[in-house]
Amino acid sequence: MHVHRYATPLLLALWLTGCAAQDATQPSLYTRLGGMSTIDNVVENMLYRVADDPEVVVFFANTNIDHFAEAFATQLCDISDGPCQYDGPPMDRAHQHMGINDAHFNRVVEYLADAMEEEGVPLAEQNELLGRLAPLYEDIMRRQ
Amino acid sequence: MRNSSPPALIRGLVFLAVASTLLFSGSALAGSRILGTGGVSAIEGAAGGGLSPWAVLTSTASEQEVGATASVSRAWLDDYRLTVEAASANLYDRVEVSVARQTLDLETLGGELEQTIVGGKVRLFGDVLYHPWGVWSAGFQHKSVADDGIPKVLGAKEGQGNDVYLSASKLVFNAVAGRNLLLNATLRNTDANQGGLLGFGGDSGGRQWVAEGSLGVFVTPKWVVGMEYRQKPDLLGAAEEDDWQSLYSAYFFNKHVSLTAAWLSLGDIAGLASQNGAYASLQAAF
Repeated sequence: MHVHRYATPLLLALWLTGCAAQDATQPSLYTRLGGMSTIDNVVENMLYRVADDPEVVVFFANTNIDHFAEAFATQLCDISDGPCQYDGPPMDRAHQHMGINDAHFNRVVEYLADAMEEEGVPLAEQNELLGRLAPLYEDIMRRQ
Repeated sequence: MRNSSPPALIRGLVFLAVASTLLFSGSALAGSRILGTGGVSAIEGAAGGGLSPWAVLTSTASEQEVGATASVSRAWLDDYRLTVEAASANLYDRVEVSVARQTLDLETLGGELEQTIVGGKVRLFGDVLYHPWGVWSAGFQHKSVADDGIPKVLGAKEGQGNDVYLSASKLVFNAVAGRNLLLNATLRNTDANQGGLLGFGGDSGGRQWVAEGSLGVFVTPKWVVGMEYRQKPDLLGAAEEDDWQSLYSAYFFNKHVSLTAAWLSLGDIAGLASQNGAYASLQAAF
């Protein structure tokens, strides 16, 4: 029985890196993402990917895309602790009865991740933003 | 009773993997779930990490999609060599079915042991990325050895048996140095000796619940490294067995090809002490 031969050093390493990452003086996620200019670029990049996907773009058929881009950028700014206040409709009402399924949802998440990568957002900030957005899944899917 | 030689199968799989990469390098024919969320092929055929099944279902198929995988794996231990050929299918990210054939070459003792495992897994609820509790699944594995001669000499009662398990998996975003952390826990009810290769039941006890767990850090979205631990029953007085553990690294080239390498520490097997060694596994997914 050698239960802890690997476990102890690995957990220790995880703990140490976790501590190192928790720097109290760290700037906000909004700042680390690159501020509003990066967020605008990410949203635009993502929407080009959506436009190329016939199965997803149909959900935007009755949407003013400029208005959507601005609202989504504001939401990303707000959720990353930036100087914005998202005051659009709540996520469940904004998406109700659209017929969105998990496959559609996953594809948009992938487009957002790919857009962040292409716009030069560091991986840690990509993960942190995706982690803050993940709980929205339940709201978005509630009234499908 | 060998139906195909492993080298031929490996060549076939490599060809399949390369061909699928070239043909489907875009998203065509891939499932829509995020890269890596189908795990790799565990040695018993289910989607998992290598030693243990995970709650995620195989391939990247999502709701309204189907997926399939084929894999070949090999472990080079001090006195044994394990070869696993496996295939699995995912129906609508709700049901997973799998089949695996394990061949254990007894390089020191002579001969070989072989078993076939047919498995099923149902996603009960949740999602590994989006649900606050992660994804939860229940599964079974029906195992039968090709020849129960050696297992019964060692004290096993049966040449076939069934495992049932409950499994949970959860990705924690931004958990370790900005990287995502994948957590898995599995509770399994089993009377399998060395996973079933040494038969089922024995003189030292019967069915019991065992715990399995793993963690993995996605260093990049394509590369996860971590460790697994699998508790095991110890039912044969003549051949004591230990828990299994591994350190693994899995690389997802794309949604169609992944390559896993691991270091295994499997403890005593059939009377031969502390079996360690390397493990490699190649999976093609559609």
